Amino acid sequence: MEGEEEENVGPFRRTSARTRRMATRMASALASSDNRAQAALARLEALENDNAGPEVVDPNDDDEYGSDDEEDHVLMQKKQSKNMKRKTRQGKALEKKAARSFMDVLHEANLESLPPHVPTYSRAAVGPPSTSSRRYYCSVCGNAANYTCVRCGTRFCSCRCQVIHNDTRCLKFVA
Amino acid sequence: MTGGSGVVVLDNGGGLLKAGFGGDMNPTAVVPNCMAKPPGSKKWLVADQLQAQDVDVTGMALKRPIDRGYLINTEVQREVWERVLRNLLQVDPTNSSLLLVEPQFNPPALQHATDELVFEELGFKSFCVADAPSLVHLYEASHQPSLFRAQCSLVVDCGFSFTHASPVLQNFTLNYAVRRMDLGGKALTNYLKELVSYRSLNVMDETLLIDDAKEKLCFVSLDVPGDLRLARLSSKDNPFRCSYILPDGITYKKGFVKDLDEARRYCSLPANGESANNDSAESDRSKFEDKKKPELSQNEFVLTNERFLVPEMLFHPIDLGMNQAGLAECIVRAIQACHPYLQPVLFESIIVTGGSTLFPRFTERLEKELRPLVPDDYQVKIIAQEDPILGAWRGGSLLAHRPDFESMCITKSEYEEMGSMRCRRRFFH
Repeated sequence: MEGEEEENVGPFRRTSARTRRMATRMASALASSDNRAQAALARLEALENDNAGPEVVDPNDDDEYGSDDEEDHVLMQKKQSKNMKRKTRQGKALEKKAARSFMDVLHEANLESLPPHVPTYSRAAVGPPSTSSRRYYCSVCGNAANYTCVRCGTRFCSCRCQVIHNDTRCLKFVA
Repeated sequence: MTGGSGVVVLDNGGGLLKAGFGGDMNPTAVVPNCMAKPPGSKKWLVADQLQAQDVDVTGMALKRPIDRGYLINTEVQREVWERVLRNLLQVDPTNSSLLLVEPQFNPPALQHATDELVFEELGFKSFCVADAPSLVHLYEASHQPSLFRAQCSLVVDCGFSFTHASPVLQNFTLNYAVRRMDLGGKALTNYLKELVSYRSLNVMDETLLIDDAKEKLCFVSLDVPGDLRLARLSSKDNPFRCSYILPDGITYKKGFVKDLDEARRYCSLPANGESANNDSAESDRSKFEDKKKPELSQNEFVLTNERFLVPEMLFHPIDLGMNQAGLAECIVRAIQACHPYLQPVLFESIIVTGGSTLFPRFTERLEKELRPLVPDDYQVKIIAQEDPILGAWRGGSLLAHRPDFESMCITKSEYEEMGSMRCRRRFFH
């Protein structure tokens, strides 16, 4: 089915490729509940983020510019070799700079291999709650939310908030 | 400027770094443990430079040495420590000892990296690590000995990166019973950031400003459904509504709360629906009507129910989608993992500490949540530290001032001879 759609898109690629691509991605995201779970996980993960600024993004951008814009073969080669050099140096710098995240360290420490009576980081986690179930708050105004958006699963509390949600925020996480 | 002992005590928190000399009452420096760079500038500001009056923190890029509570990026950490040691404490590491507060369950790889940083890069003479709960207990037990006759307590450390409930017995943390919630001040700030960005103004890059707004405006609600209902009222009657003004870089370099009286209005609300304070609330309201209502400018955002829904997550992380028990249950589980004889005593001596407990009404709410979970023949007593941010540091200061402190340390020569692993055995974890 996807192939068919792609073919249909073919002649109009210039005008509609972007929206189409978004649409298919959205559709697939909607089809599986797994994607929603992933979005939820990503959101939780983001709670531990710092705004590290543009620093991390910079080198990649640079590379793209370097390799894309060339037509001339010789120049290309030159540029490539230059690029390679730069890449390796950058790679080194990045390796040094990009400190491992705590999760990597935890993975390396291989805590599962320890005998069960040893207290470790992973065994100290509280575990799931027993008494309370999840309460939902409206994504627009924060009130207790009784309704769920059928498209993206976000919560809202009233008709008014639903309109706002549909107009401006719907599918923000999955798209 | 060296303190009496020449021992540097460092509570290396994920948010704030507390540094000073053993034996002192208060740390010499309490600075953000991070490096930040204003947009468009190349120069990184380190630690105390961020606190300067004329620094505008808008849009700063941040680097923190600590990820999820553990020291990950030693290079950033070295810069921050060097700044603190040389400029603020003015000590020479080669003639001083270091007492470092280390997170619990620090993986060996990170312990090793810390040792390397302390001995090889900074060159301290000797080094000792301690964990925060035992230090907090030490401080409280030496200040109010009558409360801790049983020599044990449950320390709830609700900090920047995570929250621990740790039973302490005779100054040792019972680490088999420690329970951790992966939610702290940082996650709350980021959550508030997300809510504000989603609802009014994009502040996703303003961690430091939102941190400030959170500290000044958030509080813990004692009755969430009731407060939510009140928060629905229109702006004039809404007791929670208040606005925070972002710096514009010209007249204001720092963000601030627009109207402090307005921000404190929730305090006068009657608790549990009693109508005792109605009159004063009425007069308050008329006072506010007099004020000219300023129009919403580009540089401010309004908070209403966010003010209590954000700290609420500490008590119900499941509302965020995080599959973890809340703070009260975390405490109960930690205590239930201890010996049954210890349990009643631990419920009677719960010490809450850490920066995230500074939300107004935190203790009351915790007590309210905890009571139904505890067997009714046990007493529940929650002791709030007078200065929760400095609790662990002050304990460290006491420990460093003890005559036998030097014997607890590992010295540089021992480290060089035996290496990190061997030396660490001395610290029992």
